[in-house]
Amino acid sequence: MAKALRVRFQPPLAITLLILGFFVFIPMISAFEYSIRTPLTGGYGWDHYIWAIREDDFFHYILRSMWLAGVTVLITLFVLVPTLTWLHLSQSKVRGLIDGLSLLPLVIPVVAFAVGAQISFPEFVQNTVLELPFLYFVLALPYAYRSLDIGLNSIPLKTITEAARSAGANWWRTITAVIVPVIRGSVMATIALTFALSLGEYTLTVLLHWDTFPTWVTFVAQDNILGAIAISMMSLIIPFLILTVITLFVPERSMQGRK
Amino acid sequence: MSSKSLTLRNISKRFGNVNALDNFNLEVGVGELVALLGPSGCGKTTALRVVAGLEHQDSGTVLVADKNISDIPAHKRNMGMVFQAYSLFPNLTVEENVAFGLQMRKVNKHVRLKKAHELLDLVGLDSQSKRFTHQLSGGQQQRVALARALAFEPEILLLDEPLSALDAQVRVNLREEIRRLQLSLGTTTLFVTHDQEEAMAISDRVGVMNNGVLEQIDTPDALYNKPASSFVASFVGTMNRIPAHITDGMVEIFGSKIVALKRGNESGEVLALIRPESIAVAATTQGNAKVLTRSFMGASSNIICQTADGTIVQSLMTSASTGDLLPGSSVQLRVLSSEVLVANV
Repeated sequence: MAKALRVRFQPPLAITLLILGFFVFIPMISAFEYSIRTPLTGGYGWDHYIWAIREDDFFHYILRSMWLAGVTVLITLFVLVPTLTWLHLSQSKVRGLIDGLSLLPLVIPVVAFAVGAQISFPEFVQNTVLELPFLYFVLALPYAYRSLDIGLNSIPLKTITEAARSAGANWWRTITAVIVPVIRGSVMATIALTFALSLGEYTLTVLLHWDTFPTWVTFVAQDNILGAIAISMMSLIIPFLILTVITLFVPERSMQGRK
Repeated sequence: MSSKSLTLRNISKRFGNVNALDNFNLEVGVGELVALLGPSGCGKTTALRVVAGLEHQDSGTVLVADKNISDIPAHKRNMGMVFQAYSLFPNLTVEENVAFGLQMRKVNKHVRLKKAHELLDLVGLDSQSKRFTHQLSGGQQQRVALARALAFEPEILLLDEPLSALDAQVRVNLREEIRRLQLSLGTTTLFVTHDQEEAMAISDRVGVMNNGVLEQIDTPDALYNKPASSFVASFVGTMNRIPAHITDGMVEIFGSKIVALKRGNESGEVLALIRPESIAVAATTQGNAKVLTRSFMGASSNIICQTADGTIVQSLMTSASTGDLLPGSSVQLRVLSSEVLVANV
């Protein structure tokens, strides 16, 4: 950290960070300011937050969205980490093709996924809300894929994989005990991206007639726009806190060593 | 001691059109250190990877103590391996790296850390056990890798050019350390290198490979003094290739007749293969060659001469006897050995 603080002041970098900061923080600060207004008194207060927490549906829907996001994260890691490891190790020509395919969710309209799900998913999957994580996984694919790809590109994957195997680790242990901890930064970024995308996904959920946190917020906004904004603020803060806790509980071992 | 013998029988392996191993056979005795030596692409690393289970041979069998392990996956082969590239796990401390193999074998934490410290002590790095691998030098990292490969008492130790990324002095020290450890633990070891000095210095036997075939396997002495082929003769050590005439098994070189050792034509023009230390150079007014250069290397000096027919000849002599061999001076060349190896032109 001490090193980072000694970084020389660079005007172009500072200006870029300032502009980015405006983009990220001004809407959030504005939304927060709006959410603590009390129109009746013309002052500020926590009325809308208190109202939101007292709503039974608040916890019902946020918990539902969070466990759906959690399942999506698990699916993403279970599918992508071994697949990408294999693609990197095999030096397969298929990798270029899969790189391209992983971008398709960015250009295919969400409605096509909804229709596709209704045509291709078996009925017992369609009848349960668990159909959503599979689709959220596809929507998060472009970001999750790239995040893990960068991590795997940055390490001597072949050597450490072979070292682990020759030391007695099977493929499962090689991935869980060696590869995932070594690309921990990428894995954490993948978890954060996938979790956030799943938590905020609205269009696909509505098209498939499911109710999750974002659809409930929209519903609330019809009668209580300030309450809906307060709920949205909390939906930003709660996952942030959860991801922070996860990060703290899985300390970066090699960073400790660098201190 | 868990060390066992290793046998490779008729191993063939192709990569596309390249024949990496062609009916390759090798036997390594219990506790023996055998080096596979050869130029890049000769198949030596492929042979090692086949033994490790990291490549699967197209045909042939790998036996450890006469048990066929050809179809056993790498993680169940119980072979310690040290790689050319630094292969330590960056997320683990030094002691955790060394204990990794034991952890995979579900040995309890207390026992595996005790064993890790024993091994780190053997490689002189016990004081670094709590550090992370990026805090170590290259030589230290390879020592840790060696400790990791030995910690779970492997049946065979496999060394894949473990010294080639290191500085010259570190290489020499570490190779001696590898040999010391290998001898004290009695671990059967297969060592792949392209550095002949390394192979000759620490191995019981050296196998010279070329184009996927084992050209010769023998003790370093025998390999150097009695090479089985022209390739081995040229690859191991420095070898003069001097055009000569052979008649009735006798080669005429520098005006003397010397017994020709097997191979090559029975009569006609051949190449006599002679080590630099088997050629004596003496200053004379009416000599058969001229000195081109004299390189002083301490106890010995390297003399490069050119004969009247243009052949370049290298001689290695004690420095004390080369004081008068100045560049341009006329000299008489003489073969010191009573037999010479010959090869076809």
